[in-house]
Amino acid sequence: MKTAPNIADPDAFYEAWIAAHEGLSDAESAELDARLVLLLANQVGELQVLLDCIAAARRAAD
Amino acid sequence: MNAPEVWKFAPAYELPSWPHVRAPDLDARERIRYPVVIAGGGLSGLTLACDLLLRGVPVVVLDEDDTVGVRGASSRGICYAQKSLEIFARLGVYERVRAKGITWSVGRTFSGADEVYTFDLEDDSRSEQPPFINLQQFYLEWFLVDRIRALDERAIRWKTKVVRVEHDSFGAVVHVETPAGAYALEADWLVDATGANSRIRDALGLEAHASRHTDRWCISDVRFKKPLPVERWTWIDAPFNEGRGVWQHLMADAVWRLDYQMDEHADPESISKPEVAGARLRAQLGPDVEFEFVWIGPYQYRDHLLDTFRVGRTIFIGDAAHVVCPFGARGGNNGIQDAANLGWKLALVVRGQAGDGLVDSYHAERHAAAVENLRVTSRTARFLAPRSAAEHRLRRAVVALARTHPFARKLANTGRMAQANDYPPSRWAPAGARSLQNVALGATTVMQLLAGGTRFLGLWIGASDADIASLADVARRLPIAAHAVAVDSALGAHLAAAGTLVLVRPDAYVAATIATPTPDRVEAALRRALALDADAR
Repeated sequence: MKTAPNIADPDAFYEAWIAAHEGLSDAESAELDARLVLLLANQVGELQVLLDCIAAARRAAD
Repeated sequence: MNAPEVWKFAPAYELPSWPHVRAPDLDARERIRYPVVIAGGGLSGLTLACDLLLRGVPVVVLDEDDTVGVRGASSRGICYAQKSLEIFARLGVYERVRAKGITWSVGRTFSGADEVYTFDLEDDSRSEQPPFINLQQFYLEWFLVDRIRALDERAIRWKTKVVRVEHDSFGAVVHVETPAGAYALEADWLVDATGANSRIRDALGLEAHASRHTDRWCISDVRFKKPLPVERWTWIDAPFNEGRGVWQHLMADAVWRLDYQMDEHADPESISKPEVAGARLRAQLGPDVEFEFVWIGPYQYRDHLLDTFRVGRTIFIGDAAHVVCPFGARGGNNGIQDAANLGWKLALVVRGQAGDGLVDSYHAERHAAAVENLRVTSRTARFLAPRSAAEHRLRRAVVALARTHPFARKLANTGRMAQANDYPPSRWAPAGARSLQNVALGATTVMQLLAGGTRFLGLWIGASDADIASLADVARRLPIAAHAVAVDSALGAHLAAAGTLVLVRPDAYVAATIATPTPDRVEAALRRALALDADAR
């Protein structure tokens, strides 16, 4: 799992991400993020990287 | 107001029954000892009995009943996978299975009214047998019984109930009750094929790690006149079943199996009333389709897995050893494959042609397969019955993307169909063992060659007559038959490079591939696969 910066234009990504959520209810937002995770996961592909990302995200919740 | 609909029921299946015959043991002065006694005449027990008889090993099968199937119930297993069909081809029952059953290869999964994904198992098949045939389990058992009786009319002892077993390091003493009286028989090897509720297993105090799932389903087996494609159709969330799952599959005698996922808190009695089941069918089939019920039955899943499939001279096969959720047809097919894995090993060990350690490889291989099947089916069960709002949300994301994005279709999981499991690397097969499909070899097939006796095949791609002759000495000492295979044959072209020798076990698993074969290398691989190196001969 990469932890060093890898997103080409972080501010533009963040702007587009929140723009996608505009006008959605909390439930709709959660659905959108779930679809987004799947689409991104398919870009990553490699299972071990995906597992590391899942574990890192979960650690932030625990 | 319309008159309430009248629900029609078909007459019950007519099953054969066989007579109880007084056992010779009752009149013998001493207990009779048998090389192999099989407790339980279900799918796995009958397959093993047939396999052993064809290998020349006498067997006794003890069955409580005098028929096949379960009285008052419908069929349990319905889908028989390619590996099972190949085994049936070797055992000589395949043609009846094919003639009676429904051959299929296409599966479709729907969400609401939309098709989410499709597979065609024919795409990966090079076998003489199709990917799947659907058939009520009792027909298959019936065909196996007929085949066994043709080989040895007395092999199956009907109305013979196992009441107690004494185990020791040399075998077992099995106490039975029959209409003609009680007796005991001795076995060098006892195979427990008595199913999920095995008392032999429980009496040994073995932990089966059982768990029960809360997901609830209700089967309706029905006949109707509406023409539907002969395919496996599954709905993740059917509009005609309150947004829950539905399975639709054709069996023999034009009987459709429609399996409905129910609310997990539903009362099993009320969901299986004819008027309730009939209303579900009416919603699925439309107002004008005539249908008749063959059977209605609610059920829940359970699973279990024994830690060891061998305890001394007692061996567990089929549901006695492992039970998984029914998704992907991984129940009965694995009982059949347990039997095919064990048959040749027991035959060679009984004859002293292989080491006792070979029986340990049955546990190593089939336990690993059961672990994999448990993992695969548990994942399907979890996809079909999300446990939280979050899990429902993730599944909705998969289904929403699957409509337009091919990658997401791979995540929709309505069952991963049973395939012959790969076996992990072991001391008997250092590179692991993989099933070889029943490919054609000139005028014959892998299974036809294997049906000729209990021996390995040395399939040597592009071998000369002199190459084959060089293995004659090995073949005199060890159970192997060498065959030259044309480089451009199905096997030569797809499965191994020219010059390679593929060492195929009697259960059509590849034990080794030898890139530069010499008699010494072939003998070493064969001795390893027969557990002859670790054991004194």
